[in-house]
Amino acid sequence: MKCTICGREAVENGYCELHARAYQSIVKKYEVWRKALEISWKEYLSEIVKNPFTGEWAKEVAEYLIKIGEEEGGT
Amino acid sequence: MVRAGMGKYTFIITEKPDAAQRIASALDLKGKAKRMEENGVPYYIAERDRQIIVVPAIGHLYTVAEEKSGRNYYPVFNFRWVPRYMAERGAKQIRAWLETISKLAKDADTYVDACDYDIEGSIIGYCILKYACGNKERVAKRMKYSTLTKEELEKSYKELLPKLDFALIEAGRTRHEIDWLYGVNLSRALTIAAKDWSGKYATLSTGRVQGPTLRFLVAREKAIRCFVPTPYWQIRAEIEIGGQVFEAEYEKDVIETKKEANAIVEACKEKDGVVENIEVKKFQQMPPTPFDIGTLQSEAYSLFGYTPRRTLDIAQRLYLDALISYPRTSSQKLPPAINYEAILKNLSGVSEYKKLAAELLSKKELKPNEGKKEDPAHPAVYPTGNLPERVLEEPERRIWDLVVRRFMAVFGEPAIRQSLKVCINIDGQRFFLRGRQTLKEGWLRFYEPYVRSEEVLLPPLEEGQRLKARKIILEDKFTKPPPRYNPGSLLKKMEEAGIGTKATRADIIQTLYDRKYVRDERMVVTDLGFEVLEVLKRHCPPIVSIGLTKKLEERMDKIQANQEKRENVLLDAIEILKPVVEELKAKEKTIGEQLSNAIKRARLEERIVGQCPLCGTGVLMILYSRKTGKRFIGCTNFFKKQCNAAFPLPQRGTARPLWRNCRGCGWPTVQVRIKGRRPWNLCFNPKCPLKEERRTVEMHHMR
Repeated sequence: MKCTICGREAVENGYCELHARAYQSIVKKYEVWRKALEISWKEYLSEIVKNPFTGEWAKEVAEYLIKIGEEEGGT
Repeated sequence: MVRAGMGKYTFIITEKPDAAQRIASALDLKGKAKRMEENGVPYYIAERDRQIIVVPAIGHLYTVAEEKSGRNYYPVFNFRWVPRYMAERGAKQIRAWLETISKLAKDADTYVDACDYDIEGSIIGYCILKYACGNKERVAKRMKYSTLTKEELEKSYKELLPKLDFALIEAGRTRHEIDWLYGVNLSRALTIAAKDWSGKYATLSTGRVQGPTLRFLVAREKAIRCFVPTPYWQIRAEIEIGGQVFEAEYEKDVIETKKEANAIVEACKEKDGVVENIEVKKFQQMPPTPFDIGTLQSEAYSLFGYTPRRTLDIAQRLYLDALISYPRTSSQKLPPAINYEAILKNLSGVSEYKKLAAELLSKKELKPNEGKKEDPAHPAVYPTGNLPERVLEEPERRIWDLVVRRFMAVFGEPAIRQSLKVCINIDGQRFFLRGRQTLKEGWLRFYEPYVRSEEVLLPPLEEGQRLKARKIILEDKFTKPPPRYNPGSLLKKMEEAGIGTKATRADIIQTLYDRKYVRDERMVVTDLGFEVLEVLKRHCPPIVSIGLTKKLEERMDKIQANQEKRENVLLDAIEILKPVVEELKAKEKTIGEQLSNAIKRARLEERIVGQCPLCGTGVLMILYSRKTGKRFIGCTNFFKKQCNAAFPLPQRGTARPLWRNCRGCGWPTVQVRIKGRRPWNLCFNPKCPLKEERRTVEMHHMR
């Protein structure tokens, strides 16, 4: 199975090792953003896509999540 | 040429031609050694109580090579030391050099190794004495010096060490042999795997230190690329004091929720503040420690942007000019034997240093603020006191000035500084106003203009004083990803991790660039860099393990201290390497595919210039015309017939994307390099306002 984002070998949830790590980072940080700004998962994703400090792989994963409309925590 | 029958003489071997000339001149009674040349090899004859022939090497003349010839196979575990011309293409001149050395050494009766007193210098001298001079390594004596000044060289010649430092040589030989075994086997495994899969050759390499260094970079790159920032807020208050405006920070540095931040701002709005208390602290700032090579490289990087390699090269030139002491040192100590007073007196000859040197010389006692690091062979880097005999190039002048000022600063008094923290209460919320002031300059004066200290002076204030808060500022902030390594900080990291040596670290960093595993000054790992590390991590984890490399380094240091046998370390290193190479061989196909794809991606990445500014959806790439073979920049949407953006490029030299946009028009830019010319950054937008501006200026001048 290939990574849905970059085509490398997938290891977890359809992501390669690198994008899987970025995905975990996104999920982990949501709680902090939710508390800080009282925003939804979708709003959070669009915020981190826009943010200049977000890493390249995290941005790619967030864009992909917005595209497929994934809800919080992979549902 | 020295003829047989001219009488017996002393044969001295040095590491470099410049050192040979300095040593010969220092030892010649009239200070004018005779320059001779044979086969294009310069050498010097000095007259003293007897004749001395000083012959230079040009760095390493011998190297480790496999016993069987050929480059396309592995594993290789049989090796020997051979002249470099036998192992390396482009080292033909070494043959003439060695022949000349052998001829000149033939009739000598005393042999002296005067190469630099470190691992590399000791091996250079040892190999020449053993192989080119006919096993003279056991009878040879050793010159030990840290500067190329006349006084020190004469002293060193008078007090020759009775024999070579064989423990140091053994440690050095082992290091070279292990590094060669690891480098050759692993690099060949990667290169051959990729070539056999794709049919195309690309040099890939890794090594005992290179692998773990790449690992540091990849770990940082992953952290940056997976980074998700955290929002936080900061509040500042603009406080008016006597017509001047100062900024005070809110007592909490980080406010985690927007709700809380808004509430604080609301509470403080349009309210005055009261000075609640004033905290004054005096503190000492100790002088810096003398430069070891690592700190010199880091300082030169942060002050002038010089890479560690560049700083080392400049320092080496200054050393050969006898302006500074031997730079490849780990020491932060300056022993009194170097004669602080004499150095300072000589430096007084330069107008910029005159006052400062005089100030230090008037002190009762000169005591340097030494650091902890030691080096058994050399002291820290210091100026010899000699003044330049030629006009120094700007980078040389800067490094020399830095070394001189640092040397003076280490003898300075501690600086005394004062910090002021004023607590201002605005309706129950505390804000801090901070001031910083130097009360006594001490060593700071000597290290100008390289001192980085901020002065913030506050007007006189007293407790209970009412102050007007002009504005409360709320700032949205985000945490930032960890910074990228640059050559300076990576070198520091290698040093902290205890991998590589002071002589090899800068070269290893350069190799990472040469192999295209990284790019840019703020080091970005390329796809190829990721894949190489991935392959190594998956198939031979010990090779990229920092622990293993460090352990080997420690054992090699023990050889140097006569606490470990060279054979044991070598055998153990081979034992670790063997299964790794076997694993790589067994999985050659998989590895080849993975690396070939990465090379393909890397080659493509190298040609991508940036987003097409004309169509907005395509990507601009460096392309080659099928008809003419000429290179140009074109849009990928051209093939879909959606965009016909095409821009000419210079046809000579190399062109590479800069991944930086033009400050005039925002278009991507490329860097063009032509041999013999300075590289230049090119904006290919024909309508770039900067070009228009330049044209107007030129027209104006013409008129």
